[in-house]
Amino acid sequence: MLKAIGAKVWAIPGGHMPLLSSGAEPRDTSRDELCVLNAGHLNVQVELTIYYEDREPVGPYRLKVAAQRVRHMRFNDLIDPQALPLDTPYAVLLVADHPVVVQFTRHDTSQPANAIATTLAFAG
Amino acid sequence: MCVMPFGFPPHVKILRTHSTDEFVNWSGSVRFIPRSQVWPANDEAVSVYVRDAAARSRKIRVAGSGHSSSPLVETPDILMSMRDHRGLIDYDLARSRATVGAGTVLHDLGPILHDIGLSMENLGDVDTQTIAGVISTGTHGSGRTLQNISATLVGLRAVTGTGEIVEWSLEKEPDLINAVRVSMGLLGIFTAVRLQLQPRYQLRRREYVARTEDCLAHLDELADAHRNFDFYWYPRRDEVKLRTLNPPGTPTPELPYAHHIHEENGHSHEIIAQERKLKFEELEYFVPAEAGPACFREVRRRILKRHRKQVGWRVLYRLIAKDDGFLSPAHGRDSVAISLHQNASLPYQDYFDDIESILRAHDGRPHWGKKHSLHGAALAALYPRWNDFVTLRQQLDPQRVFLTAPMARLLGEE
Repeated sequence: MLKAIGAKVWAIPGGHMPLLSSGAEPRDTSRDELCVLNAGHLNVQVELTIYYEDREPVGPYRLKVAAQRVRHMRFNDLIDPQALPLDTPYAVLLVADHPVVVQFTRHDTSQPANAIATTLAFAG
Repeated sequence: MCVMPFGFPPHVKILRTHSTDEFVNWSGSVRFIPRSQVWPANDEAVSVYVRDAAARSRKIRVAGSGHSSSPLVETPDILMSMRDHRGLIDYDLARSRATVGAGTVLHDLGPILHDIGLSMENLGDVDTQTIAGVISTGTHGSGRTLQNISATLVGLRAVTGTGEIVEWSLEKEPDLINAVRVSMGLLGIFTAVRLQLQPRYQLRRREYVARTEDCLAHLDELADAHRNFDFYWYPRRDEVKLRTLNPPGTPTPELPYAHHIHEENGHSHEIIAQERKLKFEELEYFVPAEAGPACFREVRRRILKRHRKQVGWRVLYRLIAKDDGFLSPAHGRDSVAISLHQNASLPYQDYFDDIESILRAHDGRPHWGKKHSLHGAALAALYPRWNDFVTLRQQLDPQRVFLTAPMARLLGEE
């Protein structure tokens, strides 16, 4: 059996959802996306805290990732406890109760020649 | 007809607290400290409070569950709760009618009615309000042939502004019932309401995700094909969630343009209302049904252009059949209700103000229990029977016991 991989704490410092989008939505909506892999055999509870340049952190945003599943989620869609503003720098601290692997992706369709950037988050 | 004992003791029992407790509504944006908060034990006690208030030129408002976010219940003096006016009083299975205490909470009412073989025709999106609250504010669900909840009122027992205890029925006093349906506590304090119900029934909820344009292209057939139909539009994705309710076994068309995401079956009172824990502020207007699609398109365009940076919450599009309530937002016209939401912890005023101008331009009428900016002449122009209502209010509450400053401003009677 594969040993659970990943870490319980991850950070994403460079959040910023573009305000503008071009193309067919929701496929081409400009967005920041979180990808969480739970390769373990236990369901994982994840809590996100969002940090800003000029205000107090907001959270926790809670999501579950089932055992041996991957979950993709758009930061644009989060409203509980509070919607994140677009076009505003933010950072994310992710804390899970079991090890997970976290990837961060930005789809920027502000102009038709759209761009995708992706990276593994920083494991704490 | 089975008659249960009228649920309140014959003697006058008054529970009073001189409290400095602050009243805070569900969303947190309506706050005030009344002189006292009281919960009279029976109708006679309600009458005593009203007569006393009239004699002392004091104001009484009744709070249900505190779900409204307009200042309907704000009072400097007496805030009354009908928490001791709850539960089933009598019922008539042959006519599918029941009388219940005005303070009965919808979440409790569903099982109470189910146990005697009855159900409400429809519910709103949540069931945390009292039955008197939803009737008094014109609260509604969604369905092209379904009226708002107040339209199911066929009789009531109330205490008027003079302290008189009255009983009115649709058969004997149709005009009074149509006036009192959506009356925001301005004509009297409801103590018991008689409802037109249905034999208990089951529903199947099916939900889908679809492109906004596909939804709008099929809007008419969706509204016709389903007992209950509404949709959420998500501004951060520009897509919709279609929500349909039908009796199990009802043939419904396939939706090849939509992706099926959810299904559940159960008793109607368990399926219609949803649980909402996250607090939000809301603005809602009823526009004529034929104006609904164009109005929504303009709202959508404006949000995408100006508000998407701050607004992540959905817009809700619902259908309501016309009724005769003097101040019902669906008075005399089949309607579409378009509602905006914003996290209660985030600024909402600029967003609501901007979209309200679009809703007004489409001849919209505001939901009485939600945020809006209208009062006086602007409201009077929207309601053909406005003057009849005001005249009746003056007759039934000549001392203005129920007419607090916010309510006087609302009616243009400052």
